[in-house]
Amino acid sequence: MTNSLKMEAPVVIVGGGIVGGATAYYLARRGIKPLVLEKSTIGVEASARSAGGVRAQCRDRLERILAMASIKLWEGLEAKLDFDMEYVQGGNIRLATNEERMAGLAAEAEEELADGLLVEVWDRDELQRRAPYLSDMFIGAKYCATDGVANPILSTWAFAVAARRAGATLLTHTEALDVVVQEGQVTSVLARGPEGELTIETPLLIHAGGAYSPQLGQALGLHLPVEPARNFIGVSQRVRPFFTEFVSSHDMHIYFRPARAGHIHVGGVLVTNDTFDKNVPAEGVTHLSNITLMVPALRNANFLRAWAGTLAMTPDRLPIIGPVEGLGGYLLATGFSGHGFCLGPIVGKLLSELVVDGEPSMPLDELNLSRFA
Amino acid sequence: MNITKERTQTEVVVVGAGPAGLSAALAAAQAGVQVTLIDNYRQPGGQYYRQPAAEFKTLQPESHQREGKLLEEKVTAAGVEIVTEATVWGAFEGNQLALYGPKSPPNLQAQVIILATGAYERVAAFPGWTLPGVMTTGAAQTLLKEQRILPGRRIVLAGTGPLQLVVAAGLVQAGAEVVAILEGSRPLQKALRHPLNAIAALWGQGDRLREGLNSQLVLRRAGVPYFTGWGVIAAHGQEEVREVSIAQLDDEWRPIPDTCQTLACDTLCCSYGFVPATELARLLGAPCEWRPEAGGFVPIRDEHMRTKLPGIYAVGDGAGVGGGPLARIEGRIAGLAAAAQVKAKSSNGDETAILEKITRLKPALRRERRFQQFYAGLFTPGPGLDELAQPDTIICRCEEVTPADIHEAVRLGADTLDAVKALTRCGMGNCQGRVCGPLAAAVVAQETGRTRAEVGQFRVRPPVFPTPLAALKPVAEDQAENTLQAGGLTR
Repeated sequence: MTNSLKMEAPVVIVGGGIVGGATAYYLARRGIKPLVLEKSTIGVEASARSAGGVRAQCRDRLERILAMASIKLWEGLEAKLDFDMEYVQGGNIRLATNEERMAGLAAEAEEELADGLLVEVWDRDELQRRAPYLSDMFIGAKYCATDGVANPILSTWAFAVAARRAGATLLTHTEALDVVVQEGQVTSVLARGPEGELTIETPLLIHAGGAYSPQLGQALGLHLPVEPARNFIGVSQRVRPFFTEFVSSHDMHIYFRPARAGHIHVGGVLVTNDTFDKNVPAEGVTHLSNITLMVPALRNANFLRAWAGTLAMTPDRLPIIGPVEGLGGYLLATGFSGHGFCLGPIVGKLLSELVVDGEPSMPLDELNLSRFA
Repeated sequence: MNITKERTQTEVVVVGAGPAGLSAALAAAQAGVQVTLIDNYRQPGGQYYRQPAAEFKTLQPESHQREGKLLEEKVTAAGVEIVTEATVWGAFEGNQLALYGPKSPPNLQAQVIILATGAYERVAAFPGWTLPGVMTTGAAQTLLKEQRILPGRRIVLAGTGPLQLVVAAGLVQAGAEVVAILEGSRPLQKALRHPLNAIAALWGQGDRLREGLNSQLVLRRAGVPYFTGWGVIAAHGQEEVREVSIAQLDDEWRPIPDTCQTLACDTLCCSYGFVPATELARLLGAPCEWRPEAGGFVPIRDEHMRTKLPGIYAVGDGAGVGGGPLARIEGRIAGLAAAAQVKAKSSNGDETAILEKITRLKPALRRERRFQQFYAGLFTPGPGLDELAQPDTIICRCEEVTPADIHEAVRLGADTLDAVKALTRCGMGNCQGRVCGPLAAAVVAQETGRTRAEVGQFRVRPPVFPTPLAALKPVAEDQAENTLQAGGLTR
């Protein structure tokens, strides 16, 4: 690497998705101007391909606390970032078609209420009253009014643009290939961009590479238990808005939500494991038509397109966040298992606190990599 | 022959029943293989052989319509299953097609798929192009040929190519006033620069010349003015088009200063050539190349019309714009090659005889390709056409995106066509990027200083046509269960 370009940065962030973008933004706001390496372009990988759900309900407790704090941030983000992210707190409905599912939702509601998350449990009549567009196959639901959605593409861009404005440097089409560690401390990152090889001297690497994280982890001698999985979403033509909620059923394996312009995004609560393939299989598209059983009014609505994204799955479906024992100058924020979009802002903020203040304002210890040891 | 809705497999499936598809189906069926031909209209024929609506059957059909009817009869007699009103909304791994339509099975797997999907008209985004009354010349032709409807009373035609003359003659004969025909190129001058090439290219093109002369005759008798080296640069009107601004164009199709005039009209028909419909080939992952003279990006093919994907062929305008006669020859070659491929597999084959037939078609193929090259040289719009859009001219009608919006997206850092699409919504509407795709690519090329070949095209996503949610049926239930794993998302 004799010809490689030399750079320096106080922090290098690998990954320009919502987690990397938010981390860059909050760091830059605290006066540390990071360098972000994005292997493709902003807003084309998992963050931007997600359903854009911003919800706290129906999560593991560790994530719930983070999500509630993240939603507090989301409420002020558009003003802070000066970017229209199409954020709406339209509510979140989790449906049940059977008693077992309903009992599970009711039990979860108690936990959520204990944590201060205001949710409601609806019986069949209440569901029909509150969501008359749903077919009568559902016997009840759990509802959270403060949950909502944002446009995943615009939100990913919002952080990238705001981070750059605050002083961060974004290098797109630039892939981190290797990390140099000396005496247990990260000293530089090697990358390849459109102009060739780069060597970036840095005391701190923040790794937010999503499903693509394990490779760079390997360069560090780390085994990151993150595996790719394909999930897919379809979008309907514009219809006259008739609901605001993000609705999902794990019995029908379908979720859907309205977008501001009137399109409805429909996703499958299904994945294909162990693939980076982003082609949507035929059965993926056809599976999404199950929405017509849930919302009969959509029978004649047209589907315009479907796309797939690559989730970063961990064994316990919880993210890996924080330092790694024995490796100085390295922080992880990966393996969000399909739940990362909502959490991006709070994780970015907490990581910036960890870097600047030495300690985050909320504990992250239980999400460390060491839990898999 | 009627296809049963239950059929899920066939030997050869041909998508599109225009000249290329009909010829491919006929050649393959006559060579002895099982063929299913699919088209999304009520009647086979495509745009080239577009038949009058059933209600007008007693009217005297014109020569293309007669030729198409004859071909269709041969195809039916050869035992081809024809499925009309069927939309192929996706093509997937394993030569699987996904369809919907009142008479069609939900999916069809074939040993060979021949894509004969035709082309769209290329549009230009000049100020006012979205006004009612501005349409493509092909749209006017469809109204005229199929529905016997005049699109307007006082009509200006602008663009390039002999289609303008044919449609103008049809409009005159149907009683419209054609105010003027503007040909952006100077075909005669160009042809005379290389007279020997012109003669070589026109050799054996008697039918085409006759059709052209007939149109000319009608237009001359009606006193229709025909200007070469002129084009429309803007359309004006409140509720609909009332007049158009025209200007003399240089060789690059850029307006020459101080030549602008206006023409009053109630309809403007625009014809700037065609863009191959390559969605299915791209969805399957067939590598494409940029060939502006063939209408843009086209699948890379070998001499048997095979794409780089096994068992996937592409023919006709959908594989590179070349017109009806070339489409027929390509169709025959692909049909024969497909039959040979199927027979080779079943090992009782006489493929050598089939391959000899292909060899005998080579001279005709060369002749038509020579003509196509000559034709494209005369009638391909210059780069000035893509520069008519002003910053506030809408280029994506579905999502109302302008060059200014794209400029802003590029400024924010959107450095690929798909990133621009994501940020601006350009191409996310009902046309799925068919109309705005080339327009957006041209703007992105200008904004980023890259070539069209480098900018590429929008990624194709299924369904390739807007498809009713309720029409989507699983390709194979058991297969679905294997590939999709529930419970991966625990929460």
